Amino acid sequence: MIHALRLLARMYRVQIRSQLQYPLSFIMDLLSSALILGFFFVAFALTLTRFESIGGWTLGEVAFIWGITEFSFGTMDMVFSGFDYDSFGPIIRKGQFDQLLLRPANITLQVLGSRFVIRRLGRMAEGLLIFLFGLSRIQLDWSLLKILYVPLLSISQILFFGSLFIIGATTTFWTMERLEILNIFTYGGAEVMSYPMHIFPRPIRMIFTYLVPSIFLSYFPAVYLLGKPDPLNAPAFISFLAPVIAMLMLWLALRFWRFGIRNYQSSGS
Amino acid sequence: MKSMIHVRDLHKTFRVYRNHKGYLGALRNLFDRKYDLTHAVDGISFDIHPGELVGYIGPNGAGKSTTIKILTGLLVPSAGEVIANGHIPWKERKRYVRDIGAVFGQRTTLWWDLPLTDSLDLLRHIYQIPEDLYQSNFGLFREILALDHFINTPVRALSLGQRMRADLCAAFLHNPSLVFLDEPTIGLDVIAKQRIREFIQYINQERHTTILLTTHDISDIARLCERVMIIDHGRILFNGKLADLLETFGGRRLLNVEFAEEYPSPTLDGADIIYRNGVNIHYSFQRRSVSASALIRRLSENYRIKDLSVEDQPIEDTIREIYENRLLYYDTDDE
Repeated sequence: MIHALRLLARMYRVQIRSQLQYPLSFIMDLLSSALILGFFFVAFALTLTRFESIGGWTLGEVAFIWGITEFSFGTMDMVFSGFDYDSFGPIIRKGQFDQLLLRPANITLQVLGSRFVIRRLGRMAEGLLIFLFGLSRIQLDWSLLKILYVPLLSISQILFFGSLFIIGATTTFWTMERLEILNIFTYGGAEVMSYPMHIFPRPIRMIFTYLVPSIFLSYFPAVYLLGKPDPLNAPAFISFLAPVIAMLMLWLALRFWRFGIRNYQSSGS
Repeated sequence: MKSMIHVRDLHKTFRVYRNHKGYLGALRNLFDRKYDLTHAVDGISFDIHPGELVGYIGPNGAGKSTTIKILTGLLVPSAGEVIANGHIPWKERKRYVRDIGAVFGQRTTLWWDLPLTDSLDLLRHIYQIPEDLYQSNFGLFREILALDHFINTPVRALSLGQRMRADLCAAFLHNPSLVFLDEPTIGLDVIAKQRIREFIQYINQERHTTILLTTHDISDIARLCERVMIIDHGRILFNGKLADLLETFGGRRLLNVEFAEEYPSPTLDGADIIYRNGVNIHYSFQRRSVSASALIRRLSENYRIKDLSVEDQPIEDTIREIYENRLLYYDTDDE
């Protein structure tokens, strides 16, 4: 286990070194991705100032969950991008996956270590700024539990998005191609999680409750953290399900992943 | 002696799906999946002993790659038994691959964007190679394989020959007991091929590493392997010494003659004309049925000869004849 983690750290280190080889282009990359994504929020904020609030949530409150979600997605996209189709698709199509099977190291670890995108720091910084902007606009009734729950929520979101990436990568074993429809759940999931979810029509809310349980990872926790009334009338404990749902998703994703690997080994490519 | 690779009655059957054409066809494919069965490996058995360097050849689609994939644990067979280096390859993957090496000529095991040194260093940690062993192996290999002037180049920028040398180095760094080389000389020039052959030979002789070599290039086999296995249609057709194979099926020789004048049809009993260009004619004959001296005597009795030479038919041609004419085919085979 310790050996595995040290190996992962080493794989990250060599990639960071090679990505920092051209510092100027790296910084430009970082700034441009932060700016482009930041504009989405600015555009949203400008619109919202016309209406005061959305579904009873103020700009500061939306910024609070938008920022956390954005930060988590950016972090996930940095750490889990080995499972991203752009990286994992070619591994399958070019038969590179065989090379991973030939090395005496855990496969999941090797895929995780195969790509570490450090310029995602741009998106993380952007998320953090929006989060801080949100905090500056609201009077939050902090407690120790809340202070602890914010980072735990972010970690849960990272694992949740990561699970969706793993599931997406696993489908590649059969399809070889990118399944665009899965983007609805990964990128689309992150999108809906940036808003208070009770504003969406029921069918969309159902999808992101029962099919992909995103609602437990932003809306319900935010109801508790921000002390908002819940028009969906869910019991209070639901606000604390985020880590449970995340672990469950990760467990399911890894089982599916192992099943995919076994299938790959028995069917050949 | 205990076998390094023990294979008994190995089978691998693939389902090849028949696809319907067009958009509607794509929809039908989801529900109505008809398939054919392909017997890529159809009941093969063999043993390879420690320290052997065995050539594994056969025409395209004969089942070579499938066998190698099963032996390296990448593919689970449909039936049969394999014990390689004391393991069942597809069951104990991590423990098995720790002590084997594999080079697939068409792919690289190295990290595409990283300099060669970084790739090798990562492999050192993956295989947990002790520092002193790594240093002594790396020092030796970089010299034999002449890696020095591209050691800091990212793998994507290496030429095919350089990349192949780098991959060979990577495959042997952890002193594996058993190594699979799949087309390690494909697409390389004569000098690069030579360097790679010398390396393979060196490792096999000095370290007694067991090596299974798959190749299209028969000269690889001729230079390196005492024993050769030929597979076609998923079955082992020959398993023995290359010399014996050539003795049985080759043994053809070429008599190249330059006549003093042009003859309309300079036929020769016991030999076939296989090439003709003016006064230059090449005859092919079976060594066992007629001697070169008898042929030359017959020729000089009937024609005026300026010059002549006798040579063995190239091994490539012999092997090609075996494939094309199915010389090795079993009588019982009904295909």
